[in-house]
This record gives sequence, C-alpha cells and structure tokens, in this order.
Amino acid sequence: MAWWRGPDVWLPWCLLAAALVAVPVLGDDYLAYQLGLYLLYGLVTQGIALTWGRCGFLPLGQALFFGLGAYVSGAVLKGSEHQALWWAAWPLAVLGPAVLAWALARVLFARRFESGPFFSLITLALGMLGFQIASQWSSVTGGFNGLGGIPDLPGLDRYARLYWLIVGVVLLATAAWVALDRLPIGTLWRATAEQENRLQFFGFATDRLKALAFGLSGALGGLAGALYAPHQGLVTPPVMGFQLSAELVIWAAVGGRSSPYGALLGAVGIGWLSATLRQEFVYWEVIVALLFIAVVLRFPGGAVSLAAPLWRRLARRSASPQAVPAPTRPGPRDDEVLVFEGVRVVQQGVTILDALDLRVATRGVHGLIGPNGAGKTSTFNALTARLPLAAGRIRWCGEDLAGLTADAIARRGVGRKFQIPSIFPALTVAEHLRIATWAQRAHGMDLLRMRTQHWRTPLRDAVEAELPFLVEASGRPAGELSQGQRQMLELVLTLLPEPRLLLLDEPCAGLSTHETAQQLALIATAVARLQATALLIEHDFSAVERLATQVHVLHQGRLLASGTLAQLQADAAVQAVYAGGRK
Amino acid sequence: MDALVGTYALNLLYQCALLALVALGLAIVFGQLGIMNMAHGEFLMLGAYAMVVVQRAGLPLWTGVLLAAVACALLGAVVERILIRPLVSRPFDTLLATWGLGILLRKSVEAGFGRGYQSIDHGWTGTLQVAGAPYPAYRLGLMAAIAIALGALAWWYRRSPAGARVQAMVSNPGLAEAMGLNTRRLALGAFVAGCVCAGVAGALLAPLVRIEPAMGMDWLLASFFVLVVGGLGSLGGLLAGAALIGGTQVAVASALDATAGSVAVLLLAILFLWRRPHGLVARP
Amino acid sequence: MKALNFEGLGGGYGDTQVLRGVSASVAPGEVLGVIGRNGVGKTTLLRLLGGTLQAMTGTVRLGDLCLDGWPAHRRQHAGLATMPQERLVFDPLTVRENLTLHRADRSLARYAELFELFPRLHERLALPAGRLSGGEKKLVAFARTLADAAPVTLLDEPSEGVQPENLQRMAACIDTRRQAGAAFVIVEQNLNFLLPLLQQVLVLDHGEVVRAGSAGPADREVLVQHLRV
Repeated sequence: MAWWRGPDVWLPWCLLAAALVAVPVLGDDYLAYQLGLYLLYGLVTQGIALTWGRCGFLPLGQALFFGLGAYVSGAVLKGSEHQALWWAAWPLAVLGPAVLAWALARVLFARRFESGPFFSLITLALGMLGFQIASQWSSVTGGFNGLGGIPDLPGLDRYARLYWLIVGVVLLATAAWVALDRLPIGTLWRATAEQENRLQFFGFATDRLKALAFGLSGALGGLAGALYAPHQGLVTPPVMGFQLSAELVIWAAVGGRSSPYGALLGAVGIGWLSATLRQEFVYWEVIVALLFIAVVLRFPGGAVSLAAPLWRRLARRSASPQAVPAPTRPGPRDDEVLVFEGVRVVQQGVTILDALDLRVATRGVHGLIGPNGAGKTSTFNALTARLPLAAGRIRWCGEDLAGLTADAIARRGVGRKFQIPSIFPALTVAEHLRIATWAQRAHGMDLLRMRTQHWRTPLRDAVEAELPFLVEASGRPAGELSQGQRQMLELVLTLLPEPRLLLLDEPCAGLSTHETAQQLALIATAVARLQATALLIEHDFSAVERLATQVHVLHQGRLLASGTLAQLQADAAVQAVYAGGRK
Repeated sequence: MDALVGTYALNLLYQCALLALVALGLAIVFGQLGIMNMAHGEFLMLGAYAMVVVQRAGLPLWTGVLLAAVACALLGAVVERILIRPLVSRPFDTLLATWGLGILLRKSVEAGFGRGYQSIDHGWTGTLQVAGAPYPAYRLGLMAAIAIALGALAWWYRRSPAGARVQAMVSNPGLAEAMGLNTRRLALGAFVAGCVCAGVAGALLAPLVRIEPAMGMDWLLASFFVLVVGGLGSLGGLLAGAALIGGTQVAVASALDATAGSVAVLLLAILFLWRRPHGLVARP
Repeated sequence: MKALNFEGLGGGYGDTQVLRGVSASVAPGEVLGVIGRNGVGKTTLLRLLGGTLQAMTGTVRLGDLCLDGWPAHRRQHAGLATMPQERLVFDPLTVRENLTLHRADRSLARYAELFELFPRLHERLALPAGRLSGGEKKLVAFARTLADAAPVTLLDEPSEGVQPENLQRMAACIDTRRQAGAAFVIVEQNLNFLLPLLQQVLVLDHGEVVRAGSAGPADREVLVQHLRV
C-alpha cells in the first residue's frame, strides 16, 4: 500500500493546493506576494514540526539555518549578475544549512539517550552567535545594513512568478513530510520522542535518527531562506535573530507542532495576522502569548488538533495486504559465552558490584537471584552500557564490551527486557511489533520503503498465535493496554529481534498467576526455539524452578554460589543470606 | 599606570558582581529547585520598570526597590501556582510555559509603556577616589551592596532553620515530606524568593542601563550561562560562573571589541553546555 | 494512644498495581511485622501508609482520623512517623541539623536517652550526614524517628547494615516504646531481629497477603519458609 493512499493523506494536501492556487486567481498578485513570505516562514516551521512534534527535541535557534540560506542565496544571486558561474553555488544555500544542522546534531546527541532542554539552550546560543557574526562581518554580510539589491531568480519576478515556485516548493515539502511520516522512519522518529532509551536497546542508533531529522529541518530552513533572498531583495541580520526563532516556535506550537499543515497554519495564520494587527491593536501580541501558554498547558497539539477527530474518521486503513518475509537473523554460534571478569561498579561512593566473576557458557535459561541490593539489575546495566565499570571486563562472544554504546551492544545480539515495561505509549501495538521486526534487520534505505512496513517473521506469527490480544489490540495505542498486557508486549518486543543473549529483568512483575504462567511458557518456548542464552532475574522461585537449568546467587555485588536450584536450596550459606539476615 | 590597572580591576570586579546579582534569582529557581524559568529576565525588567513608575510618580527612588520586591513576589506566587506546579514533572513544558510568560510580560509592558528607552536619573553621579583614580560612586555602592547581600544570603541558607529546611527539601524531598516538612510551601517560598531577587536586581540596575521591554533576554542568557559554567546548586558555583563569564567578556572586549566579548562568552557557554553541563563547581 | 487500621489497601507506580487488598489493624502497644521476599510490595505498603505514595484502593485510619488523600507531612503531624529504607538522611546537613530541623524546638533534650544508647551519634553531631557510614546513617534515621515518640511508627528494614551490638539496643528501644503504648509496623528480612519483637505478622507474596495473624518467636520455622529460596 503506497504511502499516499487514504483520504486522510491526499485530501488535506489537495485542499492546501487548491487554497494556494486560488489566492492569486481570486485575489491579486500583491496578496500572493505577501502570502509568499509567510509560506516561506511556514517551510521553516515545518522543519520545527519535524524535530519537535515528531522527534521530541526543540530547537530554539532555527532562524540560524533560515538566515544562512538567505545570506548564501543573496550573495550567489548578486554574484551571478557579474559571473554566471556563481549559479553553481546556489544549491549551497540549501545544502550548507542541512549539513551544518546534521553535523551539529551528530555531535550533540552522541552517547546520550535523551534530548533535554540543554540542547534547546545550545541552539539558542548558536542562533545568537550567528546573529552576532552576521551583524559584524560587514565585508561578507554587509553588516548591519545587510545585503541589498538582490536580483530576482531568472525568469521568476518576485511579484508574480516567484509565488508559483514557492507554492510548488511548499506542496513538495508538505508531501515529503507526510511521506516520511508514513514510512518506517516516521515510526522510528515518533518512538524516539516517546522512549529513546528503549529504542536504543533495539539496536537503533537514535543519534543518527535525530541527526537526520535535524538535517532535514536545516534543509527546509535553508531552502526557505534561499527563496527569501530573491523574494525580498534584502537580507539583514534579524533574519538569523532570536526574535524570528522565537516566533517560529510559537507558530509551530499554536498552529500544531505535529503536523506540516499545522506549521503552515501557524506561520500564515498567526504570523501574517501579527504583521497586520501588531501596529493597530497594541494588545495583539499579549493575546498571542496567552494563546501560546494555553497551548503548552492544555492543547499541546495546537490548532489542528481541534480537527483531529475529523481526521481520524477519514483514516480508513484497508486490511493488511500481502506479507513480505523479513531478512533472517544469524543463527546460533559456537562462541556464545558471557563472561564477567572482576567487574567492579561504584556509584556515589557505594560499591554496587564488587569483583564479580560470572561465566555463562551454556544455552537455555540461567537464573540470577539474590537479596535486595545484591546487584542483579546492576549487572544488566553494566552489561548494556548504562553503568560505567570501575574495574574488570565483560565479554560476550569473546568481544570486550567496554566503550560500546547501548545500541551497539544491542546490535551484537543482546536483548533486554526491562522490569517496568517501557513501551511507547502513543504508538499502536502493531507499530511496536513492526519496530521489533525492523530491529537489526532494517538498514539504511529499508527505512525509506513502504515495503518494510509489511515485514513478517515466523517467530512473529508464532507469538501472535500464542497471544491473541496482540492482534485484537493491534490498532490501539499501547498506553491503553493493561499492566499484564504491557509486560507481555515488552517481552515480545525483546524476543522478536531474535537476540542471542536475553536479559530478562523480572518479566512477571505485577502479573496475575494466570498471566505469569503464560509469560513463563512464552519464555520457555522462545528460548528453546531461538537456541539462545537467557539470564533471568526473578524473586519468584517457582518461576526460576520452572525455567532455569542453572542458577547463580548474587550477594553484596559478588557471586555467592552457582548450581541447580536444588543444590542451592541445600546450601546453608545461601539460606542464611536470605532468611537469617546475616551479612 | 597603577591607576589604569586599578580601574581595569574595578571594572572587572564590577562586571562579575553584576552578573552574580543578576543570576542570583535564577540560581535559586534553577540551581536549587531545578526550574528553567525563561521569564527570569522579564522579572528583572519589571524591577527596572518599577523604578520608572516610581520616578514618574515623583517618589523617592528607594521606594522603587520596595515596589519591585512586592510586585515580583505577588507575580511569582501566582505563576508558581498556575504554571510551575502543574508542570512539575515536565521540564520541557516548564521551559515553554515560562517562555510564554516572558513574552506575555514583555508585550504587556510594551503595550503599557511603549518600546522606547527609559532612563532613571539618580542623584549619585559623584565619584570616589579608588586606587588613585576616580570611580563612579553608585557602582562602588552597588558592588558593596551585592557583596553584603550574597554574604547575608549564604549565612541565612547555612545557619537559619528555614535555610536548613530548604536545603533538606532540595536534597531529599521525599524524606522531607515524610518528616513533616510542607515541601509545597517551601517550594513556593523559594520560587517567590528567586523572583524577588530578580526584581530587586532589576531595580538596582535601572540607573545604570537603558530600560526597555526587551532588556530581559540578554540578562536571561547571561544568568543561564553563569550557572551552567559555574555549577548549579551552590553559591560557589554562582561566583565561579560570574567570575569566568565576566572575566572572559571583559578580557576579550578590551583586547578586541565588545562584540568579540559577547562571541567569546557564547562560545564558552556552548562548550560547557555540550561537554560539562554541570559546571565547574559540583553540587554539594 | 491511637490504633492504626487499614483495609483493602492497594497501590502502585504509574499504572502498575503492586499491592492488592491488604488489610490489618495494629493496636496501641503492638508490633506488626511485615515479611516477604523482595519485590512483593513491602516497601510499597509502608509508602501507602506513610503517604509518600497515594493509594489506588482502600482506606487508612489513625485512631478516628481518616488519612485518605493526606500528604505525608500531614500524616506526620497527625502522629505517624516513618523511617524509610533508603535515602535516610540529608547529606549536606550536619547530624545535629538532621535530628532537629523538622521541629520547632531545636534542642537535643529529647535525644538524651538515645544518645546514651548510641554514643556514636553524639560524637558525630557536627559532621555532615553524607560522610557517615551506611550503618551510622541508619542510626541517625532511627533516632530521629523514635524521638518523635509518635503513636504509630513505621520502620522499613531498620536492621539492614547495622552492627550486631547496636541491633540489640535498637530492639530494646522499640520494645520500651511499645510497652509505653506506641504501635509499630516493621518491615524486615532479618527474622532474628524481628521475631522477638512482634505480636502480629503479615506475610506478603506477589502483592497480596498470604498469611496474617498473631505470631511470636515460636513461629520461626513456619515463617522462614516464606523467605527461603
């Protein structure tokens, strides 16, 4: 099913096209000229909608890319009056900001798993830096007075023909935005916004995903700026300034930050209105500020979210078409051994893991038990790069895992199920299963093909047969599932990428007796089918008894004993640790 | 030559003192409570406009400081209830909501006073001889006042029962609640204190700067940079940040020009935000 | 002196319900011991009683006061003192400040008896609490909680990390208070510490009660089974 199918996709786009075409036809050229400016601002705002509304990080200095595009375009156009060769440089007005944005995001997001407000402050500071440079570097930018006398693009005079180019670009950008949203990459972006940490554990390099989004937003900003120069004929430093950056964010918020149409609505609606009303009605901007606060407090979706119920009614998805077999994952290897050598982890002065030596060399389920504070979850955290090692080594398949990021470790076949289900609440169950199917199978261009949406694996079929609620609730947001269903979904998400090493942290926490039995059956079947190795942290010893062939007891950050459950039950030292309180 | 060095040193000290004064309110609100108050600059601006109001009414200037404190206290209390409390677990939304508040305050003042510059005439245009050169008396007085205020605040925080309670709430809010401390009221009090500090700072600065509705933005950024570079959560961090930012600005500005000074500060701040967002002085 | 009653108490974190339908009644002069393996909801129970976590179901009564919906600091003023399991002290404040900051009178008079039992505390008064060892922090928290002399006191694993000689003194302190009419709810893994103190027991598993009723040192064998591997 192509991405443009469905009236909820093409209808708004056609309405937009009709409206934009109608303006110079029904109105006049001057109206179109004014609208053109705000359409350009709308392009930049669409970039903000992409990063903020979809990916979950907010840039407060987006005008930097707009201004950069404007200055480069202006300089090139002025230069091309003397030398036609300058034309070759015009694409730089778009590519420059795009590459800059991409590079910035790569650098700033490396080795992190959240996009906190500090990123926003950095973009704010960068925007101000750009403004200072533009104001001071008079020899290149014309300083305070800017670049004036910028000629039209050849054949496109600004008061008439240029409008059509702008409309074309806006329609194209909107279509691209919607397309990307419907392709697998759009799902991944939304998952990044919801639970970036979890997405990394699937093996997705979330910093690259975010960098792509930011690069695209930079491209949109640069493109808008590139057209701004011939449109206005003059480029001055405020084009990079904080005032514009701030207004762009407000337009995105009030119009609708999660929709390209909302972004355009915000820019054209609020922006254009502000320009006219600002002079006449002195309290207009106070009202806009109040609207913005109301949006933040109550209506995060902005103006378009008011039309959301209508939208949803339009969205009629046809039944799932032909399944496409997904690429297979590598099978079992001979060297699947997990070794902890003298591992030491210290947090805030407290030694959590103390010279831990543990060797897991056989397939099947290994139990990991121990009293509270023994360090069980910490071993998982140390394994998956969430806790730094003070000493010692962790090896998997003979490879030292030191220095690898969580997603890199996941790509080496390590799957982790969290104790508290960390799913993506706003994404549907079906989208969860798709993401898990793509994990470590989808690379590069796969994420930009609609085909990838229909990948299926035999394991997924088996799991859906075992847990019918996955099919029944497939269209519902996962946030609506019950606690037990979420735990089971979380387990399924860990199994679908077919990991070689499964880290299961209290998979039955919070489940009823019946659900626990189901969960345990699923674990047993899956581990046997995948021929994988699993480490199971559990407090419920009946579960450990049922599943585990080998059990390891941790105490005060060290390995106390290993053996079968029966052997440990007969071990006095182990019993003392549990019931006697002896330390 | 000595006089030049003396004046240079005083200017440096003056810039750092100003930064410490301006950032103090945010040090309380962001450093201690963890609230990114993007309207901090506007509270400063309101304090400055309080002086304008008082001047227009013909009242003595010190009443302006009082007006600034009272107005910001009331506004801070309302803001804490309506904006901050509902968004306590959503730092992003707090950032946005307070930013919207800042715009609201700025535009309201624009509507009321217009966009033009205002200025305060005060009587103290005299100078004092310091280190062999004359130096504006108001500046010296201000520096002394800042030093005393910071010292008093630090003493209060360390020694007084209320200060201990605020420290307790910041370091372990769950335990504080369980022990019978009303953490909501403490948080409200601390937020209001931060706003009052900002307002009073604005009032004290009013005679020295151009007063206009958009003046808050520069001060907001400066405050954030001081805290990010110096370190959140301690007076030492505030002073370290003020010294480093102020020092960089003055040094680069005298070597090159004022804009280069701003650029240097921006670059320094970006570096810290990226690499060492917890600043120089670790949280105690 | 007041009794503590709770009925059908249930709660959890986010949408996860960890504890379901727990009821018990603790009379003045009684110690209720709560035991069970890790993750069964013992700490959650104390948090629900103390008010740091709001209950999803059930009610809590202290004497004739209904505590439902009351935040923790209000319950403390009503006579319910809590000693949590982790994060027991305010690290940047001195031991002295830790002991006195929540009270209007800053004197250490009420700590006289406790300082006799635990001279270490008295020695460390001027030290920032963050520098104490784990066991010493427990003692500070224990002393602070018991000095409240509240009608009902909740203790979450008080013995963990404490030296054996101090354990005896803690037990003696609790018993003395109990005989004076105070009620206690104590979550413990260490049965050697708990059994001589309790009159009633609540055994939790999977968030529910599996055994309730009076108990004493004679029930050791039976109770140990609930904790064994």
